[in-house]
Amino acid sequence: MVDRSEGAFTFAPGWTPVSPRLVTARRITLGLAYLLVAAAVVALFVIPDLPRWVAGVVAGVSVVIFVWLWWLIGRRVRSYGYAEREDDLLVTSGIMFRRLVIVPYGRMQLVDVQAGPIDRALGVTTVQLHTAAATTDAAIPGLLPQDAAELRDRLARRGEQRSAGL
Amino acid sequence: MSQERSSRIGDDLGLGLSMPGMGSADEHGRRHVHPITPIIHGVTSIPFAIAMAIVWGGGAFAALGLGALVATLLLILLIALVVAAWSYLGWRNLWFWFDDDGDFRVDSGILTRQQRRLQLSRLQAVDVAQPLFARLFSMAEVTIEVAGTGDSRVRLRYLTLAEARALRSEVLARAAGLSGETEEAPETAIIRVPGRDLAVSLLARSVTAGLLLVSALILGFTWWTQGWSGLGVTAVTGGVPILIVVTEFIRYFGFTVSESPDGLRLRFGLTKTQTRTVPPGRVQAIEFVEPLLWRRWGWVRVRLNIAGVGGADSGGRKEETLLVPVAPRDVAVALVQRLQPGLDIDALTWHSAPARSRRRAPIQFRRLAVAWNDQVLATRRGQVTRRLAILPHPRTQSVRVTQGPWERALHLASMHVDSTPGPVRVTALHLDAGFAREVADAQVERARHARDADTSTHWATPPSGE
Repeated sequence: MVDRSEGAFTFAPGWTPVSPRLVTARRITLGLAYLLVAAAVVALFVIPDLPRWVAGVVAGVSVVIFVWLWWLIGRRVRSYGYAEREDDLLVTSGIMFRRLVIVPYGRMQLVDVQAGPIDRALGVTTVQLHTAAATTDAAIPGLLPQDAAELRDRLARRGEQRSAGL
Repeated sequence: MSQERSSRIGDDLGLGLSMPGMGSADEHGRRHVHPITPIIHGVTSIPFAIAMAIVWGGGAFAALGLGALVATLLLILLIALVVAAWSYLGWRNLWFWFDDDGDFRVDSGILTRQQRRLQLSRLQAVDVAQPLFARLFSMAEVTIEVAGTGDSRVRLRYLTLAEARALRSEVLARAAGLSGETEEAPETAIIRVPGRDLAVSLLARSVTAGLLLVSALILGFTWWTQGWSGLGVTAVTGGVPILIVVTEFIRYFGFTVSESPDGLRLRFGLTKTQTRTVPPGRVQAIEFVEPLLWRRWGWVRVRLNIAGVGGADSGGRKEETLLVPVAPRDVAVALVQRLQPGLDIDALTWHSAPARSRRRAPIQFRRLAVAWNDQVLATRRGQVTRRLAILPHPRTQSVRVTQGPWERALHLASMHVDSTPGPVRVTALHLDAGFAREVADAQVERARHARDADTSTHWATPPSGE
């Protein structure tokens, strides 16, 4: 598990992690993207003038990067978490570049729920919050569709109760 | 239709023309913009048509002789007529009025009809501008902006200057919670930026001055070694900043700030005169910017985030919303106090970034700090160009804490308070990680209490009524 006890990004009780299915969804996406890389590497081997060892090095490097990204996806997904407090929602994420966003319910302008084709097949959904500030970056990926819908409705309800002008 | 209406504006051009006025409203109180609008649009198209003719035709006129020239002129005239005719159709379909709910309504469109309803309770700003060609006809355009993302503005063109001002004061009065029949708010000038100060200050901004200096050095060096060949490089490094200086000089020339009951009123512009009213309750964030070279004169620039203004404008260009382009510090502070009464910037208690932040930000680490009182949160950063950002607690949209790998190694974190789109970033860089989180949590609390108590959105409502 990611160390969640460090200073600014403390995970108090009440934090919800996201579904591990997101790992599968993102690894499938990575695999699909790597089909193209694999095709390019194979092409290197059949180019007549290119020494075999160059193609070999390229192939080796791409395999290492693939393994690293594969592992990174697992860690990144485990770094996502959110917590609903009485007056605001907290979202945290990131390993190298960590961040924590606190969005007061009264400031939410709209809540998006979205899922791509791979996400839908695996049953994961992203909930994204928008405020009047463009820099608010509060997306919670990897929610089960049922949870996402419930979260959206809860957020919308609380937003309405606490809504303020600009 | 317009033929039945009497002449109200008379003879603006002094050409003996008598123009029918905008006239009285129809039975629903709906009004058109001024009927001269199609003519202005037609005239405005002529320079563009000429420019296009020159670009396309180029030197061919000399070869083709008089016939081609006359044909081209006729074509340009035809284009102007078509533009004017199209604009006339637009004019006929454009109606604006205040509806029974107090909202501002605009119906427009020639092929695609559009009906807009602006909720004046969410008004952000009303601008009266006089573009060059409109000014020739003593006309002005009115831009009304309400809070919202994307295209949340209405531009009415053209009205006579008097009508534009009357419309602005009516919109502002209604938005501020007064009835529509208020006199235009009287105004008193506070400061006017001298043209010389503006020019000097624009040249002395850190990046501009730096680029000009570098260009001069390159030019000097290459001239010393190999003649004038350095001009090619310096055309970019020196030309672009000069272009920016000239553009901003024209834009902000004659910048005047005056006080009126519905907010601070800004007037500026050399070729296009703009008027902007900044209602105090709609200012989302304020920033003092102080480039290195300005300090010897004690100058600062004050930038604002105003919701709905200063995002991408109609041309997709970001506009820097200013309160004043350059002013002595005490004058600027006094101006900001009108927007945020009772704020004493010099009395804030600053909490500095820890000494180890030097290893993350070796130049600016001494300036990095955050402060707050019961009204605002303030952040300070920048050593070469000093920046001090102020955000009133009720305007907090969301709060973020971020930490990059380098910050993490030093156990530092940065705290950001998100504001509506605009030039001001409220960022406290490289604080102690635990402290950053404390400030973030406390800021959310302060924002919540302030929001509950906030009444500033109806800024012109008399205090006795509360």
